[in-house]
Order: sequence, then structure tokens, then C-alpha cells
Amino acid sequence: PGSRLTPTGAGQDVGRSCILVSVAGKNVMLDCGMHMGFNDDRRFPDFSYITQNGRLTDFLDCVIISHFHLDHCGALPYFSEMVGYDGPIYMTPPTQAICPILLEDYRKIAVDKKGEANFFTSQMIKDCMKKVVAVHLHQTVQVDDELEIKAYYAGHVLGAAMFQIKVGSESVVYTGDYNMTPDRHLGAAWIDRCRPNLLITESTYATTIRDSKRCRERDFLKKVHETVERGGKVLIPVFALGRAQELCILLETFWERMNLKAPIYFSTGLTEKANHYYKLFITWTNQKIRKTFVQRNMFEFKHIKAFDRAFADNPGPMVVFATPGMLHAGQSLQIFRKWAGNEKNMVIMPGYCVQGTVGHKILSGQRKLEMEGRQVLEVKMQVEYMSFSAHADAKGIMQLIGQAEPEHVLLVHGEAKKMEFLKQKIEQEFRVNCYMPANGETVTLPTSPSIPVGISLGLLKREMAQGMLPDAKRPRLLQGTLIMKDSNFRLVSSEQALKELGLAEHQLRFTCRVHLHDARKEQETVMRVYSHLKSILKDHCVQHLPDGSVTVESILIQAAAHSEDPGTKVLLVSWTYQDEELGSYLTSLLKKGLPQAPS
Amino acid sequence: MDPECSRLLPALCAVLADPRQPMTDDTCLEKLLDWFKTVTETESSLLLLQENPCLVELLSQALKFQDVSSRILSFSLRLAGIFAAQENCFQFLQQGELLLGLFGEAGPLGLPAWNVPSVRSGWIQGLCSLAKHPSAEQFLVDCGAVDTIFSLQEDSSLFVASAASQLLVQVLSLSIQGRATPQLGSSDGDWPSCAQSIVGYLEESLRSGATPQITQALKVLTTTFGRCHHSWTEALWMRLSPLVTCLLEKDTVPTAHSLADLFLSMARSPTFGSSDCDLWVTLAQTLSCLSPTQAGPLALGILKLHVCPQALKTQAFDVLLQPLACVLEAAAQVPGSSGLPDGTGSNPTMADALLASTSSCAALLCQSLAHLGELQALPHSPRPWPQVLLLEATMMTLRFCSGSAVPISSVGGRLCGILASCIRVQRAALDFLGMLSQGTGACEVSSSVMSHTPHPSSVPLHVLSGWDSADPWVPCFPEAQACTFPAGTWKFLGWGCWGVHPLASVPGPQESVTQVFAILLEYLRSPESSPTVLKKAFQATLRWLLSMSKACGSNNPDPHTQPFLRELFPVMQKRLCNPCWEVRDSALEFLTHLTTHWGGQPDFREALLASDVPELTQQLLQDPEAYVRASAVTAMGQLASQGLHATPSGPEHPGAKQKSLPQELLHILSLDSEGFPRRAVMQVFTQWLQDGHPAMAEDLEQFMARVFQVVSRDLDWEVRVQGLELARVFLAQTLGPPDCPYAVALPAATPPTSPAEVLRTLGRVQLLEFAFRALFDCDRPVAQKSCDLLLLLRARTAPGGGLQGAECNPEAVTVEAALRAWQAGEQGQPLGELVPEVVVAILRALDLEGLQATLAESSDHVEQSPRSLLQDMLAAVGALGGHEADCY
Repeated sequence: PGSRLTPTGAGQDVGRSCILVSVAGKNVMLDCGMHMGFNDDRRFPDFSYITQNGRLTDFLDCVIISHFHLDHCGALPYFSEMVGYDGPIYMTPPTQAICPILLEDYRKIAVDKKGEANFFTSQMIKDCMKKVVAVHLHQTVQVDDELEIKAYYAGHVLGAAMFQIKVGSESVVYTGDYNMTPDRHLGAAWIDRCRPNLLITESTYATTIRDSKRCRERDFLKKVHETVERGGKVLIPVFALGRAQELCILLETFWERMNLKAPIYFSTGLTEKANHYYKLFITWTNQKIRKTFVQRNMFEFKHIKAFDRAFADNPGPMVVFATPGMLHAGQSLQIFRKWAGNEKNMVIMPGYCVQGTVGHKILSGQRKLEMEGRQVLEVKMQVEYMSFSAHADAKGIMQLIGQAEPEHVLLVHGEAKKMEFLKQKIEQEFRVNCYMPANGETVTLPTSPSIPVGISLGLLKREMAQGMLPDAKRPRLLQGTLIMKDSNFRLVSSEQALKELGLAEHQLRFTCRVHLHDARKEQETVMRVYSHLKSILKDHCVQHLPDGSVTVESILIQAAAHSEDPGTKVLLVSWTYQDEELGSYLTSLLKKGLPQAPS
Repeated sequence: MDPECSRLLPALCAVLADPRQPMTDDTCLEKLLDWFKTVTETESSLLLLQENPCLVELLSQALKFQDVSSRILSFSLRLAGIFAAQENCFQFLQQGELLLGLFGEAGPLGLPAWNVPSVRSGWIQGLCSLAKHPSAEQFLVDCGAVDTIFSLQEDSSLFVASAASQLLVQVLSLSIQGRATPQLGSSDGDWPSCAQSIVGYLEESLRSGATPQITQALKVLTTTFGRCHHSWTEALWMRLSPLVTCLLEKDTVPTAHSLADLFLSMARSPTFGSSDCDLWVTLAQTLSCLSPTQAGPLALGILKLHVCPQALKTQAFDVLLQPLACVLEAAAQVPGSSGLPDGTGSNPTMADALLASTSSCAALLCQSLAHLGELQALPHSPRPWPQVLLLEATMMTLRFCSGSAVPISSVGGRLCGILASCIRVQRAALDFLGMLSQGTGACEVSSSVMSHTPHPSSVPLHVLSGWDSADPWVPCFPEAQACTFPAGTWKFLGWGCWGVHPLASVPGPQESVTQVFAILLEYLRSPESSPTVLKKAFQATLRWLLSMSKACGSNNPDPHTQPFLRELFPVMQKRLCNPCWEVRDSALEFLTHLTTHWGGQPDFREALLASDVPELTQQLLQDPEAYVRASAVTAMGQLASQGLHATPSGPEHPGAKQKSLPQELLHILSLDSEGFPRRAVMQVFTQWLQDGHPAMAEDLEQFMARVFQVVSRDLDWEVRVQGLELARVFLAQTLGPPDCPYAVALPAATPPTSPAEVLRTLGRVQLLEFAFRALFDCDRPVAQKSCDLLLLLRARTAPGGGLQGAECNPEAVTVEAALRAWQAGEQGQPLGELVPEVVVAILRALDLEGLQATLAESSDHVEQSPRSLLQDMLAAVGALGGHEADCY
């Protein structure tokens, strides 16, 4: 029993979440993310550590994916189709729908820019998705006869979920990425007071009290508006799905309100499908969107049109969403090159960019970029960075811990220094142990499992016969014999146990020899012992039996001559364990000797 | 080293050494180390350090600050190791006592940063790089590193402990191989001191009685015997074997997996595998004392060995077969076995493990099925291979899972309850059932050997025992006992017992095959089957059909499988209408495979056309799920290739539907919002063109022109690449076969006689416009494909002589202007119809070879270059403070 946890990714870092958790012997992989900063196998977690012996499919009971971001699901096709995991994968229906789009989008980027080795194919993504089992919110899914999982709303992105993993009385909750404050299209994360043994929470903003996302949204709209007003073009590099739709909602509403005419284009050709999913999973959005859904679906964009490559050369202002999001290949990079030289234009990077991309370069302030063939591109356009990621800040994390009331907390998906700070805060405030293992470090949590035991009717009746009624507030000690059969425990009376098991009863007796200086015959010595005990133990039944022995309750005393010394008699004292106390007392009494006989 | 990089290094080293400039991005440091590793592979590290003193300064700085960041410290340790891998550079760094400072006891071990796993990992990796030459060994001893390596064996981090274990092996090997020790004996004095201390540590760990220590010591030994095949490893084993083998004597073996790994590693080593040592006895002993789950991987490992005594292989095979033996035992009418030869068949421990719970039952069965599947695929799979009984056991397992088995014994009843609807076992069993169709098994099943196959319903079995038979189906021991069971009362008598009396009246091979198909149909038909199970059932069915067809020696399905096909298509109809996209897609993929293999076979055609499958497939072209639409396109393409894409048309409308399919696919290409179906359409068109499909032959030029027009505008670059592949096939066919030996000529298309005519044709079908435009596509694979295509075209139409170019032609000037515009990323005007001379002029004017060389590089090779990395790291100082990684 107990839980064991080892992060192979997201342990004191943000990059490729992959956490192995073992709950009461069931092994689950939480997320299977990739790191976009590498072009080789280092982008994926090192799966060779999962099991040194045997097949992955035999070792892992299931994989759970918290949401569709690539740092949480990007290694999934690699894991299932190339490493060879053939078991079930669980995720929510929106994640199930959106995940392959993003994986496909990223695969295309990887193949497009070339030089990427050992990458999965389209067919692998499809085959991987065929292994997925959808989990609806608050639905308890039985993975097997012992392991069950349950999803809770996590905010963050459409379909993001926190998962409770339960085996018998032991449970672990994994938050994935979550957001405790509602935003323009999603609600706040919520979990019931499930009191898990362990809560594994992300801690991206462990030390931050974040400003409202609305401020960032206002800022974004202001910047786009100003650029468009002065006739400039705005490029927003995005990945096909997720942030793109969030920003589309913002612009669509703003354009409508301000009656703006500048065209907004979405370049990937995926708008239709993406919006289809946002419409389909409207119940996963926030209350406001759900309420207004009847009048107008927020994801039916009037102002946003599909982009054609020819439009990039059109004069006048425009806003273009183009993939990929880090300006490392394809269309977004082509448009960027075209527009970079004009200071009226603007590029807004709405997310993190890894090193080795043009996005990373311009965000670090580089303005003269070397292009192919030693050409230099001078970046005159404005460069803006706006993080729209929706993670719980320190306050939110504390709030969630308060809601779930876990026995232990474990921090992942964050920086070590920030985690350290939050860890102390959690330990102080909630008086629970908080852990922050690095990748490869294992945290073992001993738990006290409650094991159900059935009580026999006979035993219960005997207890009832003593006249005491059961009282839930007063636990009572019940004595009996514990029988374990077919993995079941039962408490029965010892008689019943003997009967059931077909065993004979054996008596355990303690024996002791006491030497007495007495030259008289054995019978006389016995009589003296009898008289002595009779006079001392007035409340006990002392008997002198015809065979010459003396009994006090279950204690038996016999006298024998000493083999070597005729002046000494040996008293053999024997008693059952029930009369242990009396037996010890008698022995010590006899050892003191007998009173002198009256002369 | 690139001079520009050399110029940037001092500034970067200064930044790295400055504790006020936190480096938050680990990937940069990793890439920097990659670069140094590459540089030192070709250049002298000593020279590098002498020319770039900033590097030595950086390494020294790492020790000067107590509060040095763990990232930089770890980086410095690894970097120092990379440099010190070359002996002269090692001496150079030693002179400055830098290595002692970094790796010695006074180094990071005393710093708070040592608590960070990445620092410990960096320390180990640094030493791993360094420990390559004799000087390194003495250094390791002198600086006390070996003791630290011992302590790291039980590190809290898996990564650190594993790396420490690898390092220990490296040091041990370096220590022994570094000197010319003639003979290593059991006495301490025979061993070099460093090796002696390592061996002493291993002995102590093995004696400790603590599982973690023992496990780690066993891992070190496993790696040692896996990597080093010198005679000293034998001496090492002689010293340690008593300590290791006594671990087996405990009631429960605490480190079963590690022990199994160790023995297998030894068995694979030429030092032990071939020598006359007690290893085989130890392996046999290990097999018998491990639990069923633990013994499985060991048994598989033994069976994979090339050199191994037959008796041990027999024992190992029995271990793998035991769970399935239990299944057969449970299926038998008479509970409890009689006549089971010792050591074979089911055993009580296994039965207990199987019946304990669903989890343990599923785990054991899945493991056994997977291991047997792995074995079956090996060229040296165990002989004799009990094909028939494995088939029976697998099918019985599937019946237990589906609930179709009628258990007669109480054990069978319990197993039925445990396995009911167990998807995990269903998947594994179907996988294995599919595999059983392959190789020796299936061929034998379907060939004459199968006539000796026992059948559970009414088989007089002549029970044999023993393993030495060359032919699994023929009795090999004269003392065979004959046991006859009445119909329905057969029982499993052990895996060594499948010999059958040749005169026995047994059902033919077809009965077993029929049973396989029956169970497959049951699963394909069952509404209970989950999508993953159905997919496996489709895969298994396909494997069996292929195998049967192969056994028949032609591409036709086995004639006896016709009844199966007739039943299969109605099931397919249902599956094509399944609400789960996964099921519809798997069914379509299955249909495509079927049609590819047997589309020309009359009976198959008849069965298919008698069903609604073709119509349903056509309807799925409109499926809401893109994956399904794409699979439907591929399936329709295949059906059409075989003339099967419509029900037999009436005499009044012959081929009416055939005409419309290309148009329908063109419609999908033009309008489908997703890439998969469009890509599939292009693949179908290419296939049709290659095969000379009649649908393409009719008005080919006009159709191609339409396709190229549409595909050149596609937003998905992969569709454009597919378009260029179609263009390549078309070009090859237009150019004609003599010059292109791999091209398949269309019967209808007469190869043009002159290059000019070829170019005119290509112009008419819009191929040239498409290819020229694609040459400057922002997506690199498109440009590369186009470049290759145009190079082929130039080689065939505008070689040195032949057509004269028209370089000064005003039309050529216009075209060149358009190309320049495209190159600049502008749209430009369409080229219109081009005269051959102009095309030749352009082809000659374009630097296609130069372009090809550029396109061979990745699009981000500039950003990924070391120079760019250094620039990025310098630029990031202070600029990326607010841009921390959160999520993608």
C-alpha cells in the first residue's frame, strides 16, 4: 500500500510534463508531453526509466492526459506508436477532439522545417487517438476492477481537466494546468472536498499574484487597434488551436463593438474545424458564453476570414493569425519576413518561444536577423510579447488546496526556487507535508489503508448480549479471531474459527518448578501447600484432589521428591495463560517457602 | 571553431560566470555542450582552451562562488569532462588543479548546490566523459571520487543513481583494462587497488541484505557483463557468484528482476555464454524459484538466447506456456489434470495466480501472450512450436472474455467470471491470434501437417512427452500412451503432448481455420467489442486471410475462406455505420487492404458486390470525421482501381458511377476543409495514374490541368507535395519510358516524340505553372520536390544540346520577372501558356543545383547554428526575464 511518484518531466521544471504515479500498486502515467526546445529525442521524456523489466503495456495501467497543450500531450504518439505502449489513454472529449489537430499541426511544422529526426507520422497520430477513451466531467470511469478515475473542470484551456485516481481507499489528484479565475471564455477550476492522500498541483506561478487577464486582454486590443488605425499590419503567430481561438473571440467582439473594417485573417485553414469544436463543446466554456449561446455563438466569427497567401501583399491594415506560433517555419515566418521592415507593422507573440526560433530572437530584442545565404533582415516592426496563458497563481493554488483538503501536496510544473517558497507557505498554512521532487526523484508516501473486515453475526450477538448498544461516536474494542480467505477478512469467535477451519483446540500451559526444603513425604508437603494456600487465597477455589495434587482455578500443583536431595521437594506448578497473573503470584508465594508447621 | 563563435565566447563566458545573470533556459546550456562535444571531436581541446582562455576562466569561476547557480555548476562540470577526455588537455587542466577543484572532495560536494540532482548528475557526466584514459584512473583514486560514486549508487534521483552505476562500470573497466594484469584471482592482491575497492563495495552491498543496495550492485554487474567481454569478468564472477546465488535461496527472492537481468546479461556475453560454467544451472534454478509474473521476462530472455542448453529452453518455454495451459485446463470438462508430464502444462501456483483477481489474471495472460508473440516472430522460435494448442488456448481465452465459452469445470466458471469483458486480455489475445497466422504456425496449419491436428471435440490423442521431435506434429517417442476422449470431453495434457497418431481420424486443417474465423467473426460482430478490440480483430482477420492466401500459393483467398467472406461483408456493413469514428475508420482501412489483395479475385468480387459495402464506403466520403473521409477516399480509390466501386450497373447505364468518382474526388480536393482527405485524394490520383486506371485515361490532360490548378492553391503544404508527386508521375509518363526506366507508361498515352512537345503538354496541363510557383514555396518540402522535378525536366528537355533557349525572348523576361516576384514571396501574375523555348531558357537560367543544396538544409538551420545560439544566449541576458516558459 501507499503511493509512489516520480516525475520524468515537470519535476522542478516546465517543459514536458510526464509524471509516473503508483497508487496501491496501480501504475498511471500523468501526461506525456514534449519539449519544443530540442530537435532530437531529448524533446520527449526518457521512457526507459518507466520500467526496466517487462513491457510498458504490462506495467502501466493507463495514461491520463490533462489537456491538449503539447507540453502535456506532445509525446503521446511517440509513446504509443514508437515506444510501444498499447494500453488505454484517458482524456476529456474536447481534449480528444483537439489533441490530434495540434499534434498534426506540430508534426507538419517539424517535417516542414526538416532536420527533425525520429518524429511520428500522421498515421501514428491517428492510431494513437484510436486508443483514447473519453472521460466526461465528474464521471467515474472504471479502468479495471480496482482502479477508477474521475475528471474535474480545470479552466486553463478548453477541455482541461484535473483527475482523481482512486484505488480502494487511496487516492491521488493531479491538477494538470489549471486556472482558478474565470476568463473570457472559460470558467474557474473546481474540485470537491475529496480529501485525497496526495494532491499533485502545477506551480507555474508559484510566487506570483497575477494581474487580471482582462488587463492583458485590454492591452492586446489597444495595441492591435492602434496599429490598425495607423494603417499598419498585425501578425499574430499562433499554433492552430487554443490561444488562436481565445484571441479571435477578443478581436471579433472588439471589431463588432468598434465597428472596425480592417480585415482579420486566419491562415491555417483550420479555423472551421477549430471553431466547430469550440461550438461543439460549448458546455466546457464559461457561463456567459453558454448563456449567450442561444442568441449568438461566440465562436461563429463574422469578421475573421480564411487567409490566402495573396492577401499578404494587399495594401492597408489587416490582422493575420498565422502558424506556427514561434516563427520557426512556414507561413508565419514568410509573412514576418515580408512585414518586418515596416515600422508601422506589429508582431504580437502571444506565447513562449523556445531558443532556435525567430520568435525567440525577436523577443530577446535582436533586430538584425541573419537569414539564409547571409542575408540580414532588419526588424523595424514593433515586437510585443503577451502571455495569455491561464495558470493559477499562488493564491489560486492555495485556494485549490483548501478546497480538496489533501493529506499531502506535491508541486510540479514550476521552477525550483518558486516552488520552495510556495512549499513553505503550504506547509505553514495547511500543516501538511509538501514535496517538490526533481525529475527522476521518487517521493514515497506511506498511507494507512483501511481494510474492510466482516464481523460474524455470532460475535456481534455476543457483544450485544453484554447489553451495550453500538454507538458510532464511541469505538469499541472487539475481540475475536481474524480469518483471511480469498483476499477477504472476517472477524469471528474463536469457536467459530476452529469450526470453520477444522482445527482442534489446544491449551497452552506455563510450567514452573519450585524447590522447597521439606524432608517430609510428598503427600504431607502437598497438604501443607494446600493449607497454606487455603489460608491465603480466601476468594479462590483451592482444592486438594484425590490424586494428591492441589488446584487453584486452572493452576495445578504437584509435589515430587528431589532425585538427589531427600531433604528437598520439587513443586511442579502449571497454569493456563488466562491465569497468568495468578500463576505468577502463586509461584512467587511458594518460592518464599511454607510457614513453619505447628510443633 | 568558427571565428565568429570564438569572438562571442568571452562575452558569453562572462555572462555564464556572473551569478547576477541567471540563465533560466536549460536547453541553451544543453545545446552549448552539444556544440563543444562536436568541436572537440575534430579539434584539440587543449588548443581550444589555449585559444579561448575565457573557457578556463569560466571553469575556475564555477568554484569561486558558494552561491553559484546549480545550472552553471552542472554545466561547468560537464564541460570540464568534455575537455579532459583528451589526455593532454586533462594534464593541462590538472596543472591548474582545476579538475581536483571541480571533482575532488573540496569541490561541489561541500556546496549546498550538491543537493540539486542536476549538479550530481553533471558531476557524474563530467567524470564519465573524463574517464577515458589511464591518467584519469589515478585521478579518480586520488581525488576520492570513487567513494562519492559509491554513495551516489543509492541516490534519491533515478537518473543520478543510474548514471552513477554506469560510471562505476566505466571506472572498473578502466582500472582493470588499463594494466597488463596477467591473471585475476580471488585474492585481493591480484586486483588493481581501484578495482579492488569497487569489488569490495559490490561484495558489501550484496551481503548487506538491503534490497536497494543489492539491486544497485546487481545492476552494476549486469552493465559490466553486458559491456565488457574480457576474461576478467569471469574472474569477477568467480568472486561474487557465491554472494549472488545465495540470494536465490531466500523464500522470496527480493531482487528477482535484477537477478534475472544479470543472468541474462551473462548468458548473452561470449565470456559466459560459451563457457562451461554453472550459469545454466543457476538460470534453471532462478526460473523455478521466481513467481509466474517474474519468471516470464526471464523465460523470454532465455528463449531469445542463441546459445543455451535445450533443457533450459524447454523449461523456459513451459513457463511462458503455463498461463495458457491453465486456460485449456479450465476449459476441460474433467477438473484436475491426470497424466500431465512433470514440468509441463498448468501448475497450481499458476492457477492460483490466474484465479486470484482480474488484475493478476489479465497481467499474466497478457504477458504470456505478448512474450509468445515475440517468440513466434523470431527466426529461432522454439521447436516444436505447439501451434494447435496455442491456437486453441488463444481462442479459448477469447471465448472466456466474450462469454461465449460454456465452462464445464468450476475453475472454468471462475475464469469465465474473471475474464468477462476484459478488454486488455481481448486485445492481447487478438494480437497473438493474428501472429499465429504467420510463419511456421499458419503455414503448417494450412498445409498437410494440419491433417494431424487434434481437435477438442472428438480427438483420440496419442499423448507423447518430450521435446526432441523435429516435427511437432509427429509422434517421437515409442512409449507414447494412447488416450482417447469422447467428443466434448477432451482435456489438455501438457505442452509436450501434441503428437498425434498419424492414423488417427482427426478433422482437417480447415476446421481449425474455420474456428479461428468463427471467433474473429464473433468479435467483429459483437456489439460489446470496444473500438480498440475491433481494430485488433480486423488486424488479426487480415493476417489470417493473407496467411491462408499465401499458403495456397496465389493471391487468391483460400477457397475455404469464401464462406467466411460472405459472412464478413454484412458485418463490415454494420461496422461502417458504427457511431464511433475509430470503428468506421478501422473498417475502411481493413476494406482497403482486402481490396488491394483480392480485388481481382472473382469470388471476393462477388461477395463484396453482393453487399452494400461499396455504397456505404462512398457515403463515408461525406463523413463528419476527417480521418474517416480520408480512409473512405483511399478505400474508394482502391475499389475503383479494381472496378468495384459500384454495384453492377444496369445495361442501360454502364459505368455511370465510375465516371463520377474522379469528379467526386476532385470536389473533395477543392472543398474539403481538412488536409487528410485532400492528401488521400492526391494519393489516389497518383496511384490511378501509375496504374493506368481507365478513369484517368479519359481526357487525361484536361483532368490533370484541373487537378494541378486546384492543388497549387491548397493551403496544406503536404497536399501540394502530393500534387508535385502526381506531377512527377505525369512527367515521367509524358517523357516516356526509355529515358526513365522506372516509369510505367499509360497504355493510352503515346510518349511524345520531342522535348518541345513534352513541354507543350506540360504547359497545357498547368504543370509548369504549378512547378515554377512551388519552387519558391514558403514550405521547404514543396520547394524541394519542385526543384527535383524541374531538374528532371531540365535533364530530359534542355540538356546541353537539343532545344535552343530563347533567353532574350520578351516572354522569357516576363516569366523571369514573375519568378523573381514569387521568390520574393509575392503573388505575381500567372505565367499563362509558355512556349517550349521560353521554358528551356528559364530552366537553364535558374540555379536549380544551388537551390537544391539550400533546400536540403532545414529551414531553421541558421537559427539552430552555434553562432545563433551564442547570440541568443547573449541577447537573452536581461531581456527574457518576463518571458518564462509556462506552456505551449
